[in-house]
Amino acid sequence: MMNSAGLRRVHVIQGEFKVVSDPNVVLSTILGSCVAACLRDPVTGIGGMNHFLLPGSADASMNSGDATRYGVHLMELLINGLLKQGARRDRLEAKLFGGAKTIARFSNVGEQNTLFAKRFLLDEGITLLGESTGGEHGRKVEYWPATGKARQQALTGVETQKTVALEQRPVPVVKPPETTIEFF
Amino acid sequence: MSIAERIKVLIVDDQVTSRLLLGDALQQLGFKQITVAGDGEQALKIMVQQPHHLVISDFNMPKMDGLGLLQGVRSNPATKKAAFIMLTAQGDRALVTKAAALGANNVLAKPFTIEKMKAAIEAVFGALK
Repeated sequence: MMNSAGLRRVHVIQGEFKVVSDPNVVLSTILGSCVAACLRDPVTGIGGMNHFLLPGSADASMNSGDATRYGVHLMELLINGLLKQGARRDRLEAKLFGGAKTIARFSNVGEQNTLFAKRFLLDEGITLLGESTGGEHGRKVEYWPATGKARQQALTGVETQKTVALEQRPVPVVKPPETTIEFF
Repeated sequence: MSIAERIKVLIVDDQVTSRLLLGDALQQLGFKQITVAGDGEQALKIMVQQPHHLVISDFNMPKMDGLGLLQGVRSNPATKKAAFIMLTAQGDRALVTKAAALGANNVLAKPFTIEKMKAAIEAVFGALK
């Protein structure tokens, strides 16, 4: 979608990631308890965003180790995408959004997602420049990878509930890689 | 001593978190002799100095990627017999074919479960316990 200022909007949905090098692109997403990590290389202006919800207590078929591996996988896909376009790992900087506290749940999934993302960035040595996480309201986030600027708008209570309900639907795990070649 | 305890494994991944998770999964499967490397070049140096029985390597890495490492391991008489399992975050069939042609023993897609990792290793070494 192109607006009058020549800015192209690219929306990132749950379980997805987008990497761009075009300075006229703004990445956007809507978050309830999901978390979006925005990463960029300030020198090249290459940046991207992912949007994830770790399978927690809602999915009994996955243990915590599997959930973490899934989260790491989504972060890795974003980082690999950035490096492929020419970003340098040692220059990457991050901003985090989302992880709102959801209603009527025993565990605070949003907080767990935020903690995971922060831990990941710390372990990988990626600077966290800023964050807007937690709270009781969802967020509409816009991120300009070329400048690193981000803007957010709080969702109303009803919008937050709708967003959270959508997030809880089972989403297909990122497309299954083809590893069907018989080795033995 | 179980089979897993006797196998020397070299983990190769540029992401610290991935190395930690992989090491943790291997420990849960009973592996005790685990070495880690952050890229293909470092891994190849380690292999030449101290050959390991099994290399589990990520594909996408700076300096030398997984395929480069696989080629290096297979072309050195001291290391060519090591088992090699390639990990890949991208669903890329061409990569799987290439890895197989270069002599990978198995390819495992990320994110993997411990059961899948176990199956991938057992396909090479037989039952671990």
